[in-house]
Amino acid sequence: MRKRSAIVCFTLLAAAILLPWLFYDFAHHRPAGFVISMLSQMGMMIILALSYNMLLGQAGLFSLCHATFFGFGGYATIHFLNAAGAGDLPVPMELMPLLAGLSGLGLAIVFGAMATKQRATAFAMITLGIGELVATAALMFHHFFGGEGGVNTDRMIDRSLFGLSYASGTQVYYLIVGWTFIATLLMWLQTMTPLGRMANACRDNFERAQFMGYDPRIVRFLQFCLAGFFAGIGGGLYAITYEIVTFDAVAAPLSANALLMAYIGGNMVFAGPILGAVLITLLQSGVSLMSNSWLIYVGVLFIAMVTFAPAGLTGIIVAHGPIWRAGRISQLILPYLRLLVPGIAAVTGFVGMVELLSFLTIGAAAGKQLVLFGSPIDVNSASPWVVAIVLLVVGSVWLRFEARYFARVWESVGGDAEVQA
Amino acid sequence: MTGMPAIRLTDVRKNFGATEIIRGVSVDVAGGERHAIIGPNGAGKTTLFNLISGRFPITAGSIELRGQRIDTLPPQRINRLGLSRSFQITSIFPRLTVFENLRCALLWSQGYRYSFWHLLPRQRTLNEATEALLQDLNLAERHDLPAGLLSYAEQRALEIGMTVAGGANVILLDEPTAGMSHSETEYAVALIRRVTEGKTLLMVEHDMRVVFDLADTITVLVYGRVIASGPPSTIRADRAVQEAYLGAMAA
Repeated sequence: MRKRSAIVCFTLLAAAILLPWLFYDFAHHRPAGFVISMLSQMGMMIILALSYNMLLGQAGLFSLCHATFFGFGGYATIHFLNAAGAGDLPVPMELMPLLAGLSGLGLAIVFGAMATKQRATAFAMITLGIGELVATAALMFHHFFGGEGGVNTDRMIDRSLFGLSYASGTQVYYLIVGWTFIATLLMWLQTMTPLGRMANACRDNFERAQFMGYDPRIVRFLQFCLAGFFAGIGGGLYAITYEIVTFDAVAAPLSANALLMAYIGGNMVFAGPILGAVLITLLQSGVSLMSNSWLIYVGVLFIAMVTFAPAGLTGIIVAHGPIWRAGRISQLILPYLRLLVPGIAAVTGFVGMVELLSFLTIGAAAGKQLVLFGSPIDVNSASPWVVAIVLLVVGSVWLRFEARYFARVWESVGGDAEVQA
Repeated sequence: MTGMPAIRLTDVRKNFGATEIIRGVSVDVAGGERHAIIGPNGAGKTTLFNLISGRFPITAGSIELRGQRIDTLPPQRINRLGLSRSFQITSIFPRLTVFENLRCALLWSQGYRYSFWHLLPRQRTLNEATEALLQDLNLAERHDLPAGLLSYAEQRALEIGMTVAGGANVILLDEPTAGMSHSETEYAVALIRRVTEGKTLLMVEHDMRVVFDLADTITVLVYGRVIASGPPSTIRADRAVQEAYLGAMAA
């Protein structure tokens, strides 16, 4: 089991190292800027999502202020970089994320002491308050947060362990790969420590943990602090990459994103949030280029996951394990294909509706032509609307029937009913 | 059976709102004895356990563990002083494996505290101790099964295992055989006898066969008061007990 995890881990690392070169423009000797910036974003989001899952999945703590520590690490890093640039801070670039992590840790100690006094809903409420508090502070206290404009820096501090200038995005990307790897490894190892295990235990049954000598509050507090530390590292990488940190980095939408990534990827498997972070970043960078409505799609995906697969994508994968080992996975191919047809119809109908509606409000005003699925469409005629509605309604109803058929086959091949339901 | 009692309750009272649940209970549990608390439903037996183990604060009186006041301490502090309890409704970690459940129960007593720098798979002594306990509980085959998927009797055995794992000297078991079949009960009694060897055992139990089989001393609790306390033979012969409680059962 651990050997397999290690193989997956190093494959991912190798992929992360090689990917930019697959998209390298050799004709013009130009790195693929878009791919590198997207992969860089992925790295930060992986750290954010994994550190968030130290709370959500591993400790059962529903935090609504995780971006606070990410953003704070980012703000602090801007100031560290400025100090280093002025020659006041003799720290090489490679260690800046560590300072960012310590900044996140410092803030997590303060706020963790408040929030972890409670658990469950009360804990979530306190973290909601903390998130709002810091977001407000970011707009009010200009010396540290820079107000609405944020704070910025020049990352070329001319201090590196490897003699790198970090002028190019590629160099920064490899710094991100390195730190994402280190942070992921450390967070993975943490799940195997007494604290990590007792966090699971307190999640399952905090009272029993108490009668075994552990104070659940201290378990929550330490777990919270460590999560803040790793989130801070992510924020540091963010600051180094963009050289500017604004209010967005501590605001609620980013906290919600952390939750989304951990949940969609699956919070019961360590690697779940990694998958979630990759997927959400792809949607963010890919779909957002194609459509203004991409947030709606992420939202619908989230609702669909919570409703139909609360264990997330990795949960779905894990649920197929026993069927795969029993050699009966081939029996699922037909049911899946039968799900796919109405599924595509329903999704196409839904996308069509959303795009038509959003074009009416935004696109038409700009005097553009709507292009859907490769063909120009006249939003003022009835036919595209009718087609979209029919696809959506027929596809959804048909999907329900196929879902029942799928559930029957799923049970007959020995699938875990609980996971699928 | 000499010297300081393992547990001493002195005029312990507990009110929930205006309702008096425990009305002045004084009991001594001698070190090394097996002491059973019996009584009809609603007598306050489980409440008494919750008071001793620190789950609820007491309203008045005092509770001592080997001479030390514990009635103001939180559960984890009482546990660290060497008192461990089980629950009437099975209380385990359902999503952790059986092995992990037991290992968690061993962590504090083995001095790991809140460490995030020890890697559990590398702790040989700890893992061997966990394996040994797993064998002892007859749960070795269930090693990697999530504890929530164990059968009821197995969960009860695991619960007893988790209660004794930390090496506490005073063990409180709340209806350890409740809901078990005859053969399961027999197995559980043998297990309890084995794992509490040389320790002080305080138990709540409804099954009179188990009580008279295991206990050195029996305390009878009725409506939050102790109406009798003594060796089984005395309790069996006690008129007040027979009238209040045993009579209906013996018939």
